[in-house]
Amino acid sequence: MASPSKKDPATPAVELQSLTRNFGVRTALNKLDLTLPAGAFLTIFGHNGAGKTTLLRILATIEQASSGEAKVLGFSTKTEADEIRARIGFISHQPLLYADLTAEENLLFFARLYGVENAQEKTRALLAKTGLASRSLDVARTFSRGMIQRLSLARALLHDPELILLDEPYTGLDPQGTETLNALIDEIRDERSFILVSHHLESGLERATHVLTLDKGRIQFYGTRNEYENFVDATGKTSKTSQKTSQCTGGQA
Amino acid sequence: MTRVFALISLALGALLTTGAFIAVFFFVPIANGGELAQVANIGGEQVTHQLWFSQKIFYFHVPVAIASFAALALGAWHSIQYLRTKRPVCDLRARTAMEVGLIFIILTMISGDLWTRSDWNTWWNWDPRLTTYLILMLLVIAYFILRVQIESPERRARISAVFGIIAFANAALSMLIPRLMESMHPVVLSGSADSGLTPPMLAAFLTALFGMLFIGFGLYYLRSMQLELAERLALVQARYDEAQGS
Amino acid sequence: MKQFMTLLRKDLKIEFRTFDILSSMGIYAVLVLVVFGVAFMLGENSYDITPLASGLLWVLAVFTSLLGLNRSFNREREFSALEALLLSPLDRGVLFLSKVTANALFLSIVFVVAVPLFVFLFLQGGVQGNGVLAPSAPLVLAPLAVGILGIAGVGTLLATITLHTRGRDIMLALLFIPVIFPLLYSCVTASSMALLGISDSMVFLQTLGMGVGYDVIMILVGWMLYDFVLNG
Repeated sequence: MASPSKKDPATPAVELQSLTRNFGVRTALNKLDLTLPAGAFLTIFGHNGAGKTTLLRILATIEQASSGEAKVLGFSTKTEADEIRARIGFISHQPLLYADLTAEENLLFFARLYGVENAQEKTRALLAKTGLASRSLDVARTFSRGMIQRLSLARALLHDPELILLDEPYTGLDPQGTETLNALIDEIRDERSFILVSHHLESGLERATHVLTLDKGRIQFYGTRNEYENFVDATGKTSKTSQKTSQCTGGQA
Repeated sequence: MTRVFALISLALGALLTTGAFIAVFFFVPIANGGELAQVANIGGEQVTHQLWFSQKIFYFHVPVAIASFAALALGAWHSIQYLRTKRPVCDLRARTAMEVGLIFIILTMISGDLWTRSDWNTWWNWDPRLTTYLILMLLVIAYFILRVQIESPERRARISAVFGIIAFANAALSMLIPRLMESMHPVVLSGSADSGLTPPMLAAFLTALFGMLFIGFGLYYLRSMQLELAERLALVQARYDEAQGS
Repeated sequence: MKQFMTLLRKDLKIEFRTFDILSSMGIYAVLVLVVFGVAFMLGENSYDITPLASGLLWVLAVFTSLLGLNRSFNREREFSALEALLLSPLDRGVLFLSKVTANALFLSIVFVVAVPLFVFLFLQGGVQGNGVLAPSAPLVLAPLAVGILGIAGVGTLLATITLHTRGRDIMLALLFIPVIFPLLYSCVTASSMALLGISDSMVFLQTLGMGVGYDVIMILVGWMLYDFVLNG
């Protein structure tokens, strides 16, 4: 039903205004302000508990901000959640699929849920693209980790999202799986915007146009990739050591 | 200031209840007859008349029951407020109201039990009204067990607010049961003019009712203030720890 | 409506592929019947349990459905499918209604087998039964239908509530039985009237009406509050 309305390309992919999220007495996100232009590839770094995943979940409208505002593709996460949901794809290290449905059934189911037209053709095309065509009639439970990740990627692309959110997608993938995932990301890069949360410095930076580092729920650094490299060079040691002494605050990551 | 308010409410409640208590035992006449609708066979005995003690307990049993229901309603109201505003203080108040509700439900059951013992000559039977109250008690206890079982404070608040609303809807529906089903429990406040209460009885009853409501409200107020302070203390503590840590 | 059908079809497809819910509920129902059998074995082999039949029937219904409800969200939790649903532009109320429908269907399927079995074993010249059912006995289907709908509605809501609690399975039972009580009361009473003979059809309808009212209110509450129950 929701064909992605190609809105004004000047509309930023993400806009945060003093976005805050509290978990009881703990502050997971503390007054974040930033604007991410459309078409950017943002990589978010930070320790465990720095608020990366929380931020991503707020953008995906499956968690709510305590105060402040977040706009995704020009829509408010508070009042226009369904508009956002129809336009974003979410990929996490969890499959987000039905274990007892076949690859094809999974995709068809989600295509119908999103109101995708030509669900059949779209499904077939995506299965071919992710190299799962030969296994399309097998139940997802029987798939290897890498295949599940590919199917999950296909699921996220069904409705042709304008913004793709990736939550630690490399976790649990072997080098080959990582390679396939990267190749697929490159292939669908187009004019879409991406937000990637990752631990891996290298694979995270590879495609980034923008970088955000969070520390205890605050913005430590936000800027373009070049600016980030200068920032790391200037503060080099401190940022690297802090990367290692990851004080896990525990709880919600 | 607010604490004074709560204490006044408690004191007033105690005063009114005690006043009603004295009045009931020394001044309010015993209604003649107090006949049951039909001859009931309870615990192997034919019972035709309510005994005098049951009349005395009535002045406390019914107000306590009403107060317990009011507390549950207050809990549901705060639950709705929580879902609307997501303010933690609403969750805290809902919880406090449920606590007061539980106290009054237990008091209702104890006072009701004195009644059944003296009137029906048995400690317990599965009369619809009694069963309903037992279930209500279990429901409120389940509310608190549910709270303990959820770790994340926010989810706890959200889920228990939903359950608080369900519990109240359920309590309201449960109240219909004894009205529809045959119950030996007398329906006193049927809403009809013919409730059988003489003016002094009604006065004593209302005094006791307001007394109970004041006590309930005072308890609720004090307890929620205590919890709010504890919450604030925890917040200050967390900030302090954070400042020390960094 | 389209989304509702999509969700419902998905639930049915998975169930008829794995028989996860139906098989566990079915076997459990038989086990409860066996326990009843053992419980009445000690009698003189001649006493009539017809007056108790309605109560026993609902003991069977409550415990069997409790087991099925506990399992109904397993498929959503495995592979985090529920999160995928929440990520999609799907009205949470529709999700609730589709789950209620699916659960009601599964319960109906189990009861279609379990209730005749119960009647055969205990009421129709079975081991102990020598009682005679009233001619109005088939009317017991009405309270059964009302009960199944209410159990599915409340059960789905509570199963979602207990999804994130520590002792999930036991928590569901703890919440479910008190909440279901008004419905249980009206269904047991109505079933009892049907099985033993309806003396006053007005009272029967009134009792049944209370059950229907309960269903409507609880499903409405669930439909409205489901968004809050889920992560949202």
